[in-house]
Amino acid sequence: MAEKLQFQSEATARAHEGEDEGLPSLLPRFGEEKFPWIQVWGYIGSLVLTFAALILVIDHVLPPVALLSVILTLAVGQAALQIGVFMHVRESRGLAWQMVFLGLVLLMAAGMVGMSIWIMLFKSGVS
Amino acid sequence: MPSFVLYLIHTLFPHDVRRPTELGADFLIIMSGVIIVYYLTKQKKWRYLWDEWLTTVDHKKIGIMYLIAAIAMLFRGGVDALMLRTNLALPTTPVISASEYNEVFTTHGTIMIFFMAMPLIFALWNVAVPLMIGARDVAFPRLNAMSFWLFAFGALLLNISFVIGGSPNAGWTAYPPYTGVAFNPGPGENYFFLSLLIAGMGTTMTGINFLVTTLRMRAPGMTLMKMPMFVWTTLTTAALILFAFPPLTVALAMSLFDRLFGSSFFTLTHGGMPMMYVNLFWLFGHPEVYIVVLPAFGVFSEVVATYSRKALFGYSAMVLSVLAIMFLSYGTWVHHFFTMGAGPAVNAFFGLSTMLIAIPTGVKIFNWIFTMWGGRIQLTTAMLYQIAFIPTFVIGGATGILLATVPADYQLHNTYFLVAHFHNVLIGGVLFGLLSGTYYWWPKMFGHKLDERQGKWAFWLYFIGFWVTFGPQYLLGLEGMTRRMYTYPLGFGWHELNVISTVGAFIMGAGFVVMVYNVLYSLKYGERDLTGDPWDGRTLEWALPSPAPEYNFARIPVVTARDAWWDMKQKGQTLANSLSSHDISTLEMPKNTPVPFLLGLSFFVVGFGMTFEWWIIVAIGAIGVVASLLYSAFDYDEHKHINADVIRRTESALGRLQG
Ligand code: HEM
Ligand SMILES: [Cu+2]
Repeated sequence: MAEKLQFQSEATARAHEGEDEGLPSLLPRFGEEKFPWIQVWGYIGSLVLTFAALILVIDHVLPPVALLSVILTLAVGQAALQIGVFMHVRESRGLAWQMVFLGLVLLMAAGMVGMSIWIMLFKSGVS
Repeated sequence: MPSFVLYLIHTLFPHDVRRPTELGADFLIIMSGVIIVYYLTKQKKWRYLWDEWLTTVDHKKIGIMYLIAAIAMLFRGGVDALMLRTNLALPTTPVISASEYNEVFTTHGTIMIFFMAMPLIFALWNVAVPLMIGARDVAFPRLNAMSFWLFAFGALLLNISFVIGGSPNAGWTAYPPYTGVAFNPGPGENYFFLSLLIAGMGTTMTGINFLVTTLRMRAPGMTLMKMPMFVWTTLTTAALILFAFPPLTVALAMSLFDRLFGSSFFTLTHGGMPMMYVNLFWLFGHPEVYIVVLPAFGVFSEVVATYSRKALFGYSAMVLSVLAIMFLSYGTWVHHFFTMGAGPAVNAFFGLSTMLIAIPTGVKIFNWIFTMWGGRIQLTTAMLYQIAFIPTFVIGGATGILLATVPADYQLHNTYFLVAHFHNVLIGGVLFGLLSGTYYWWPKMFGHKLDERQGKWAFWLYFIGFWVTFGPQYLLGLEGMTRRMYTYPLGFGWHELNVISTVGAFIMGAGFVVMVYNVLYSLKYGERDLTGDPWDGRTLEWALPSPAPEYNFARIPVVTARDAWWDMKQKGQTLANSLSSHDISTLEMPKNTPVPFLLGLSFFVVGFGMTFEWWIIVAIGAIGVVASLLYSAFDYDEHKHINADVIRRTESALGRLQG
């Protein structure tokens, strides 16, 4: 029997020793070779969302404020889709951990976006 | 001649690639190409090149390829620098024109950051990290090879621009409206955006790969707080990459859309917002400076401990400060554009947050000094770089604080003071750190040391050359000389300082020549490393023979202490003295694959086609990309076995097998 590439054997060994308790979600699962229909649909979905936004902008179908609100909604949908489908959040077996990281990501994103808006408002007294 | 041939000549070889410099370079490139092809054919080395290098997924070989690429790019970036400096020493008789000067400083900056510093970091990661944590490879070996080839073909795309079609000329920051197609037609900026987009994909993948590797591949017993410092900095740098590269990708892609498809994200008309580019660029750019400097911090933490023969002082404080730097470096980006005038509140906030970063950095400086305190210091080349780094980096940090003082920055922004500051941290910190690491791990990569006497010569030339070059630039900045000017009037009193600075640049150039000689000389005459532990090291990579066998560890070690190898040596253990032949089993290892190379090549074709807006070529490249990915996705035959007997034979040939 061949010793598997290290990350398989090590991770399994650790889980068995109970050293990594609380991290079972990070155990790799090999040998599941179902056809990834979810990802295929997710991919198609993300393309649809992208092109919907593009067409809305190019064809000027909506007044500016409505347009911005719609494409922002589409963007949030896109982000949710990416996280749900391609980052495998729903398949996780250790939701608590995932939530910590997801929270951190949201914090970073909100920080970057929020501060960028603040900066670009040009409430300038000096320029 | 048929008209399309004329069109091709006109597009690919316009006037500004037919200047003497470019024609000279053309000649050299073609000559060396011919020589290489002739040599490979004559020696029948094509097969070897393909099997052993181009298709490899072995992290050690990928590391060596990154290293070679980085040194080649250091050469090109260095030649660019000498051209710039020559011009500034001769203000009355400029050697290169204003437009060529723009192209050269753009290429210089872009190459040094993206195609010299980054690959040199990835070289050291690939060479050292898996060995340090007791792993047989990185988490995703095939992805690792893809990262390398995306980087390599991205670099190639940027590098051909100056002989085919014309170089980018808007600076490494590529601000609009300099990059707007209305002001800057021609392929140069397309090359810039596309090459960085392609190489950037590779970088992001490397970030993911090493994040997972350090988190999941450590040998049993190596808890987070037992990881070597270099591995800690790898982990944090990888996390920085993950968050920093998306804003860059977005900014580059939007700029490219503005140029190719007539969108107006950053244009001056149609409600475009050029300042948003600046915001996005530095949202990436400031974390980027820590992406390049944290690995250097990591190298120094290993080097200082090894050559002081003491454990690193204040390990937990070091870990904490690395984490603090990681978080804080996301909150400082506006200090690169205080003068944009976002308002006093914004500027005050970001001025303060910038100064905060100096605190964890200061902690690290003290810890390195205390590590040396009372240690038995060996002044090897790697250690000389460490000792030179401390005062140099402190001065660079201090001038950074000056720049972070908003009112002062209104005066100093974009002057030679700024240029001196960032070279101070980038050369004194990043380059010295990475060269230190290269000298330190060289025996592990190639099985022999680099000659120390020549290494020290190169070091002194670099170090002295550095201060002669950049010391005067602080003064020039204070005297009002702005960056990116190709000449200046004589009456300002800038000439003498500029001449000194140019002399310094040539001293550094001499340092590079000595370093290359050092490498070539040592290939043949360098002291061979038969023990695998030439420096009496502390971490696991030194427990292996140099160079390490393909599978790294015949048996994965169990770690019980922070400096794992040092601890084993204290207890009189080695990896070999308890290894008997029934401990060895057949190993499953990743198999070579042509996909990463072909994927990189396909992206190169896409990038080249898009640069000239030849959509048929883009389509051909895109088919290549999709085909490579599909083939890779359905290729389940990605492992090979290394038979236990082969491993036993290898280990006993190395004298590492008992009984
Ligand atoms: C205490 C630490 C540091 C402080 C307070 C600091 C502060 C600053 C400030 C305020 C600027 C903008 C100046 C201007 O444009 O007018 C600047 C520019 C720059 N810094 Fe630093 N810095 C620090 C460390 C570093 C490090 C470690 C690196 C890289 C390894 C670095 C690389 C750069 C670069 C590349 C630029 C200019 C880029 C450009 O405009 O092209 N800095 N720094
Ligand atoms: Cu910065």
